[in-house]
Formats: sequence, structure tokens, C-alpha cells
Amino acid sequence: MIEILSALGPTSIQDLGRFDQYRFGVGTSGAMDDVALRAGNILLANDENAAGIEIPVTPFKLRFCRDMAFALTGAEVEAEIEGRAIPPWWRSHARAGDILSLKAMPRGARSYLTVCGGIDVPVVLGSRSTQFRGEFGGLHGRPLQPGDILPCASASCSIGELGVEPPDIMLARPNAAADEITVRVVIAGEYDAFDGATQELFWGGSWKITPQSNRYGYRLQGPAVKPISPIEKRSHGIVPGVIQIPPNGQPIIQMRDAQTSGGYPKIATVIRADMWRVAQARLGGRLRFEQTAYADALAAEAEMSAYLDRLRSDARLLEELRTCR
Amino acid sequence: MPIDISHIERLAKILETSGIASIEIEQQGHSLKLVMETGEPSLPSPVLVGSINACQATRVVARADVAGHFLAGHPWRATPFVEPGQRIEAGAIVGLVKVGLLYAPVLSPATGIVDAITAESGAMVGYGAPIASIRPVTESR
Repeated sequence: MIEILSALGPTSIQDLGRFDQYRFGVGTSGAMDDVALRAGNILLANDENAAGIEIPVTPFKLRFCRDMAFALTGAEVEAEIEGRAIPPWWRSHARAGDILSLKAMPRGARSYLTVCGGIDVPVVLGSRSTQFRGEFGGLHGRPLQPGDILPCASASCSIGELGVEPPDIMLARPNAAADEITVRVVIAGEYDAFDGATQELFWGGSWKITPQSNRYGYRLQGPAVKPISPIEKRSHGIVPGVIQIPPNGQPIIQMRDAQTSGGYPKIATVIRADMWRVAQARLGGRLRFEQTAYADALAAEAEMSAYLDRLRSDARLLEELRTCR
Repeated sequence: MPIDISHIERLAKILETSGIASIEIEQQGHSLKLVMETGEPSLPSPVLVGSINACQATRVVARADVAGHFLAGHPWRATPFVEPGQRIEAGAIVGLVKVGLLYAPVLSPATGIVDAITAESGAMVGYGAPIASIRPVTESR
């Protein structure tokens, strides 16, 4: 078990998401940075869909109630357990009573704590992910609070310390500036409803991530991008990654807790392989959009799969090597 | 433990996936050297075990427990894990050995003062290679 000692902001339990209920209007939820959640689970030899804790704000503190292996992945955090510093993307081991403290987050926007066996909250509609909108899943369908006790599945894990190379090294992409992240998008249904000059505004803009950005969506600020004539569509199905243009011309990227439908015109969609980059973009930081062909979007996804595949096989080989010694 | 044929097979697989050119293991009474055909001239393989730098009585040596590239600091961070003259606790991280996408920590065998980091950041190190020497301190309680 784990006891939450301090949590600011919407800290939540997430697995990879709830994928079979979309047709009933139930969104996917799930880890915003699914690459980080998977990597943590791979380090612990867990099922990759095992639930972890998504931590968007520091300071954060918890107590382990028994001996347990855990991993921290995602955003860079200054983390410490009983005086020991935990490097980024790292598996370590806690003894009963140890307090893990995340003090600051100098890079990225979400840290993931995974534990050996996973956080064992009930599966609701096929997933342990917290659904904020519907208030179910996770722990009572709400953000974690001090005093919460989280059950952990018991499992035997490797307990040696071990790190993983963060994906932004192997999957590095050129960014225009230090606080700006370029994400690849494919154009969406209503792209042609914007004239050429307006489309150029969209591609050329350095879009500021406003404080009204969260698990539901990122609201961006920049030059007004408005269609040739106002578009009023009936609500239709949308997915995380869709970039909508509301009447004020300021784009909204739908994220993991987005509604399953909406009526605003869609100018583009962030490719799945870059959603983790958006998830790690910080409030106040900037995004730039790069147009990508569908085939290149698939190639980018294959590259991400290759990173995870290599991680799985390297982890297996290293444990084997250590066992045969 | 004698080197078993299945270990050789595993080691070869590890060399192949991690892109390491060669590995040399010495144990009492026998030694093993595996060299991968990479098409490029292979680098001299790292020399292992306690054959060099026989540790002086006043020093303990932190060693790599896996072969790979030594990293004195985490790639996300500007500063190395430890610097000479710094105090280090037993079990604390001295550096990393990068094997494929994994970072295996090199741990300090004792609490003491870091004397020197003997491995060069970015260099290939072998199993058992000395990474840092530490002057143990005995605490009076």
C-alpha cells in the first residue's frame, strides 16, 4: 500500500486508457504520456497497462507502507527517497515506511510513479484510469488527496536500481527554440475552410500554452485563425489530438479527458507518435505545428514502437545477464 | 562459477543488440573473449578484473557490473553524479553504464571521499572495470 502525504493539482491514477467505451461517449482517459507509463512498467516487468500515478505538480510526497520496487518516468523531477536522489527514468526500491518526495519539475509536465504489480484500484468499464468528467475509475473517480491509501498488487520484481534512456534522446526532433516543441500534425476535415493566409498563420505561429490547459485539452494563444465564413457543424465524433478552432480563432488540442464529440471546425490532428511530446509541454511554453503526411505519421509511430521494443528486449537481456552471473 | 555454453550464447546476443564490438572475461583458470564481426576494425577490448590498479589498502574501487559505455552524469543533467573530493554514501550512484537503452548504475562500495573518477565519460568499459576510487571514512558514532 501507498499513502499519499501531499498532492497539489490533479494527481490521478491512470493506466493506458479505456478504449472499448468510446461509442457510448465514454472518453479514453489514460496516461497523457503513455510512453513514460509503459517504460516504468517495463522496468518493473509489469503488464504495460498496469496503473500508475500521474503527477502534474510538485511538491508531491507519499509513503510506502511495505517494501516495494517502484519507477519514476516522464518529466524530470528532483526526487528523493530517504536522502537518496533518484535520477530521471529510474527504477529503485523502497522499504516499508520510506517517504518519496518529488520536490521540483525542471523539465516536462507530468511525472509517472509506477510500482511493482501496479496500483490495484478496481477496473471500471475495462480500465483503472481516473475519468474526471464522469467521476469514476481510479480512486473514487477523483484526484488524489493527502491521506488516500492506494492498494498495490503484490508481485515479485527485480529490485536492483536501473535506468532507462528517456525517449527524447533516441526520438529527438529539431525544435526551433528551447521552450518550444514542434509537433507533427495531419490536416483535418475543415482545413480547406480556412484561406491560404490563415493556414499560414496556423503553420507559422509559435503557440503559447495557456494556463487553461489540462488533461481535457490545451488552449493555445496566438494569432486569430478564423475560417473564410463561420462554420456551424453538428456535434460529431472527435479523438484526442484533434485541434479545434472555436469562434475566437484560438486553437484547442483535445487531450485524454476530452469529450468524445464536438462541433468546432477541425484544422488538424496531432499524430499519435507526438502526443507524449504535447503531454510533456509545460504551461507557458510554446508549440509549433509541422504538417506531416499520413505515411510519415505511420513511420513516426513505427519509430516509437521500435524504441519500446528495444527497451523491452534490452530489459529482458540485462536481467538475464545478471541472473546468469 | 564456470562459464557455461549457454552464457556464451546469451553474451553474444547481448553484444549483438547493444552494438558492442568485443568482450573479455577472465576468471580463475580460464578466460573468454568474444569479438563481433562488425566490418569495422574492433577497438581494443576493455581490460577487466583486478589485474590492473590493484587497489591500495586505503582505497576501495567502484566497478562496473556490466559492460557498456560509461556516463559520468545523466544525459539530462549538466553535472556529473560525483566529483573528486566529494563525500559519497555506500550504495550511492557514482555513474552509469549505458547498455542499449538501459542505464545500469555503478554504486559506491563504501561511504567515503571520492578520490578519482578513473573511467572516461563516454568510453567503453568492461565487466568489472574500475570506475572510481574512494577513500573510505570510518564514522565515529
